[in-house]
Amino acid sequence: MTTTVTKLEKLVGKRIKRKEDPRLITGTATYVEDVKLPELLHAAILRSPHGAANIKSIDISKAAALPGVVAVYTGADILGVGSVVCAADLPGLRKPVHHILAQDRTYFVGHAVAVVVAKDRYVAADGVDLIEVDWQPTQAVTDPEKALAAGAPAVHPEWPDNTAFIHNQEGGDMAQAFADAEVVVKQRIVSQRLIPNPMETRGVVADWKQADKAMTIWTSTQIPHLARSILAGQLGLDENRVRLIAPEVGGGFGSKLNVYPEEALMGFVSMKLQKPVKWIESRRENFQTTIHGRGHVDYLEIAAKRDGTILGLKLKLIQDLGAYHQLLTPAIPTLSVLMMPGLYKFRNISAQVIGVFTNAVPTDAYRGAGRPEATHGIERMVDMLAAEIGMDPAEIRYKNFAGKDDFPFLTAAGLTYDSGDYAATLDKALEMIDYKGLREQQVQARAEGKLMGIGISTYGELCGFGPSPATPAGGWESATVKVEPSGKVTVMTGCSPHGQGQETSFAQIAADELGVPLDDVIVLHGDTSIVQYGIGTFGSRNTAVGGAALFYALQDIREKAKRFGAKMLGVEDGEVVLADGHCTDSNGNSVTFQQIAGAAYRGIVIPTGSEPGLVATRFWEPSNFAYPYGAHIIVSEVDKETGQIEIKRYLAVDDIGNIINPLLVDGQLHGGVAQGLGQALWEHGVYDDDGQLVSGTFMDYAMPRARMMPWIESAHTITPSPVNPLGAKGVGEAGTIGSTPAMVNSVVDALAPLGVRHIDMPMTAGKIWKLMQDSSIQEKKA
Amino acid sequence: MIANSFEYSAPGSLKEALALLAEGAKPLAGGMSLIPMMKLRLANPEHLVDIGRLPELNYIREEGGAIHIGAGVTHFEVESSPLLLGKCPLLAETAAYIGDIQVRNRGTLGGSVAHADPSADYPAALHALDAKIVLTSSEGTRTLSTEEFFLDTFTTALDPGEIVSEVIVPVDAGLTGTSYQKFLQPASGFAIVGAAARVRQEGGKFTMVRVGVTGLSGNGYRARNVEDALVGQDVTDANIKAAAALVADGQDASSDLHATAEYRAHLAGAYTARALRAALSRSA
Amino acid sequence: MKIAGTSQLPFPPEKAYDLMQDPAMLALAIPGCNSLEKTGDNEYKLSLKMALASLSGQFEGKVTLTEPNRPYSFKMLVEGTGKIGFVKGEGVIKLSGLGDGISITSAITATGIEFAGDAQIGGSIATVGQRMIDTTSKMMVKQFFKKLEKLGLGAEGTNPEAGGTAGE
Ligand SMILES: Cc1cc2nc3c(=O)[nH]c(=O)nc-3n(C[C@H](O)[C@H](O)[C@H](O)COP(=O)(O)OP(=O)(O)OC[C@H]3O[C@@H](n4cnc5c(N)ncnc54)[C@H](O)[C@@H]3O)c2cc1C
Repeated sequence: MTTTVTKLEKLVGKRIKRKEDPRLITGTATYVEDVKLPELLHAAILRSPHGAANIKSIDISKAAALPGVVAVYTGADILGVGSVVCAADLPGLRKPVHHILAQDRTYFVGHAVAVVVAKDRYVAADGVDLIEVDWQPTQAVTDPEKALAAGAPAVHPEWPDNTAFIHNQEGGDMAQAFADAEVVVKQRIVSQRLIPNPMETRGVVADWKQADKAMTIWTSTQIPHLARSILAGQLGLDENRVRLIAPEVGGGFGSKLNVYPEEALMGFVSMKLQKPVKWIESRRENFQTTIHGRGHVDYLEIAAKRDGTILGLKLKLIQDLGAYHQLLTPAIPTLSVLMMPGLYKFRNISAQVIGVFTNAVPTDAYRGAGRPEATHGIERMVDMLAAEIGMDPAEIRYKNFAGKDDFPFLTAAGLTYDSGDYAATLDKALEMIDYKGLREQQVQARAEGKLMGIGISTYGELCGFGPSPATPAGGWESATVKVEPSGKVTVMTGCSPHGQGQETSFAQIAADELGVPLDDVIVLHGDTSIVQYGIGTFGSRNTAVGGAALFYALQDIREKAKRFGAKMLGVEDGEVVLADGHCTDSNGNSVTFQQIAGAAYRGIVIPTGSEPGLVATRFWEPSNFAYPYGAHIIVSEVDKETGQIEIKRYLAVDDIGNIINPLLVDGQLHGGVAQGLGQALWEHGVYDDDGQLVSGTFMDYAMPRARMMPWIESAHTITPSPVNPLGAKGVGEAGTIGSTPAMVNSVVDALAPLGVRHIDMPMTAGKIWKLMQDSSIQEKKA
Repeated sequence: MIANSFEYSAPGSLKEALALLAEGAKPLAGGMSLIPMMKLRLANPEHLVDIGRLPELNYIREEGGAIHIGAGVTHFEVESSPLLLGKCPLLAETAAYIGDIQVRNRGTLGGSVAHADPSADYPAALHALDAKIVLTSSEGTRTLSTEEFFLDTFTTALDPGEIVSEVIVPVDAGLTGTSYQKFLQPASGFAIVGAAARVRQEGGKFTMVRVGVTGLSGNGYRARNVEDALVGQDVTDANIKAAAALVADGQDASSDLHATAEYRAHLAGAYTARALRAALSRSA
Repeated sequence: MKIAGTSQLPFPPEKAYDLMQDPAMLALAIPGCNSLEKTGDNEYKLSLKMALASLSGQFEGKVTLTEPNRPYSFKMLVEGTGKIGFVKGEGVIKLSGLGDGISITSAITATGIEFAGDAQIGGSIATVGQRMIDTTSKMMVKQFFKKLEKLGLGAEGTNPEAGGTAGE
């Protein structure tokens, strides 16, 4: 039985093309819209055209009489269904009841008022047009600062101050920091409302089987198990009789880390009508009714010494919540507070978050969720401080970084950063971009009258969500590894990847650990009847937490396989090694992993104390978050005549811990950077004063296009995370978090000769032009 | 995003199509402007007549010293036509700026002209080209200048039952230089402003200048004041700048989420100057 | 949304003012107006068909004329609701006498009009028609005054006894 075992190449760390792509690019993937069932009905929803209005009456008779319409339901019909769930909690949090259909009042444009169920989508839409609502519009308020002003219209009449909560957090001694300060810089910084736009909008199919008292729901979600628990609760069903399937999910970016009214509503309709029913969100509905992101007005004050030593940061954060709390709405700005010190070692922070109701769709987690805002705040303030004291922006960062020997590093906000060497990453970035040379070039450019800017952002983020006590619904993750008798491997992960590529990266991990070909591994997820309970995909957690659970399940398999192998080779348990797909004893005799799998199921030789089969499940609880970081540098030039910004270079040096698949990492970074640049330069969800969403289509909401993107130069430093066995941190949100301050810092730097010290996003050409006009007028006056 | 129900006809000949249109049906060409409005139920035509497939409207040919383009020619065909690229490059250059490739593959010259979107690209070029618009109905045919045809925001001289059947543009000999310069609205890709210039020079002086502008106000227009300020003048950048600065005079500049009236007017000047400079560099 | 603008009519303010207070004339001048029926003091029921490019929509609503100050100013409130959205506009229209523009003592032969107000636009048209709203509203105002000019000069047939119902 002596065999020569060929050494297998490690797959982890390799640029491997995504296993999920063939079905995506050949059009054979199944999205919710592709779910077709016998007797499927179709729903369309009547939505409020007003920002705030009383519903005096609703007449559904014409809609109900339309041939092909099966049923029409309004707010009065759904009172037996649980309201929309907010899992976040804060002391004194005011939680308005969010019914799945509006009762006597609507609170934002797009608020669901009635549902028409019909034999096809067209008739359902016609039915919606026939519903007559007697509206009594009232004054809306959409600007969170205006909503806080005395005499503002009350979004919820029971809370005339429009304040949902006030959350304070202090660290260190801010008063002392200000007393010691030689310089204080203050700035109001806005992180505007953004509208997440995954390629696939939301969609739900609900199929109730009365005989089994069983419900199957297909929904485009990032959190199948949590959604199942919540929906079972809302509908009053047994959790084990609800099967929730997140089929192919065409992107979420946090907007599908939620459970929306339409999900329970379709369940309700299916139970009422005893038929399956489908609702697919239109793009316009996506704009109006799926959560928005950001919506911050931050008042920041940074206290420092003239030598650049930062002493403290003070923040008053006004969070535009919208009209209701979705799943995590009030929790998002608290993450901003946790990340407000950035990568710096100053010891004092003081923050007040004011959560404000407005007549707008709720805000909630959107790629980065609270951390981009925080990073934008600190990285802008550091640059402004540098400008104020005449220090180079790179130098001031070096001066204040937590040092590489400070880890684990306890921050002023109370987090413990796991690992890092911030200076090394910035070193690498400055060297790659030839920072010194660039600054010389800039002097030259300025002398020629050109507006050239160099912007640095050294961002940090907390991801790998996260220890369960620090999350609203459990922060662990689960994995099952099922080895079939043939030795083929099925991984079932509690994560719910939807574009991140874990079908590939998890297969790489499994293939390496078990020594099987990549193609022998499949990764299943998203179906609660197949996969053990899991938490889901958000907060850059899949690899750091889900990957860790998988790693440990694989170790269990390895242990069991070794015992079977030893038994098969007739040696003691401890005398074999499992490597390269073979279990080998000290004499060089070996059996293959596939032979072991076969034997484990055949059941003839069973190691003492073991049992047949080769399956393992692990639930893994992280002891901490993971903290990736990086340095992004943007070189830009502003067209003096038009205010248009051109990105000359984009460099990202990121430290995301160990890298499983560099190709996937590139994809995550590029997408993240695109989303960050979208916010920095173009995107803006705009409500007018009456509550109309005026950037409600792609004609007015400027999603970045491929042609608008710069070439992204990317490199890494690698500081493994000690929190999980893979040493991975996370990369899903890094690009989004690092990019916005780099972009704004770059343009502010370009315009610095004109006396510009801050610009709010989005930095549209018109806004820059106006700034240049105003500052040149001032220059002339002076 | 679901249209109301409507009747659809795809007649095989122009004659049949015109007969249906005379009864009050609405033409459908590339559908790139009409279909989105229907899906949002902002437009609810009862009967659509598909004229986008009629071979009789699909040609680009040189005839009698001019180029005749059928209304059904797509933006991509305009952009890539060897005839246009060689002899009327301004129109091809302008077409290449429209939307994205999917839109250019479906949208038609006739549809865009008939739609008269105040931010559409073609009107600028067509004004600068002294183009003629041919209108046809079951009653007959008439030919209008661009200034007679484009009346106001989304408003043209088309009568009910009448379609744009052809656009006629001149053959620009080697002496003429042309250029279209566009400032894109970042969301839609339409023009915040677009300026088309067509110039000829001789002995260091402008001998012919045409400037067409789109996006600035409710209707594309020919900027005669800019033209008049340049013809007969020395070819200098100072003259271009001074003339281009007149482009927004007398126009009621539009204002929206993406550009204030003030900014638009400024851009119109800047882009007119850019178009004039580029055109000049291409004129012999 | 703020709306503001100026216009001119080639007849004196008294005549311009009376035209704008006359429902029959308004019905003819308001673009797309199908009917304007008196429903109360200074209040009229409005039915309007807006057709622009491929967009078309029927609006029902009302026009209210208040704060009359002949021939200097009045206030106008227009509200309309239809399937494609709703519009509510309120503004002050100011009239001033214009002479020949040469001599300050010349007789007043024309009216300068200045209007300023707020418009609220909602529903589908607000969400999807942003880039058309400015140009379209300007065009409708232009059409309104052009028509009024023709009506004032007697160039268009009027139908005074139709009780304010008129149209094209
Ligand atoms: C995403 C997107 C981006 C775009 N970007 C741009 C841009 O950057 N610049 C630009 O200029 N345009 C742009 N467009 C518009 C595009 O150019 C359209 O193709 C064009 O405006 C209409 O042409 P069509 O053939 O698609 O007409 P349709 O949509 O079929 O019709 C438009 C209107 O014209 C009428 N019509 C059509 N043909 C005729 C005819 N021959 N005679 C009389 N009436 C007719 C129809 O009844 C309808 O009212 C964009 C469109 C989209 C969807």
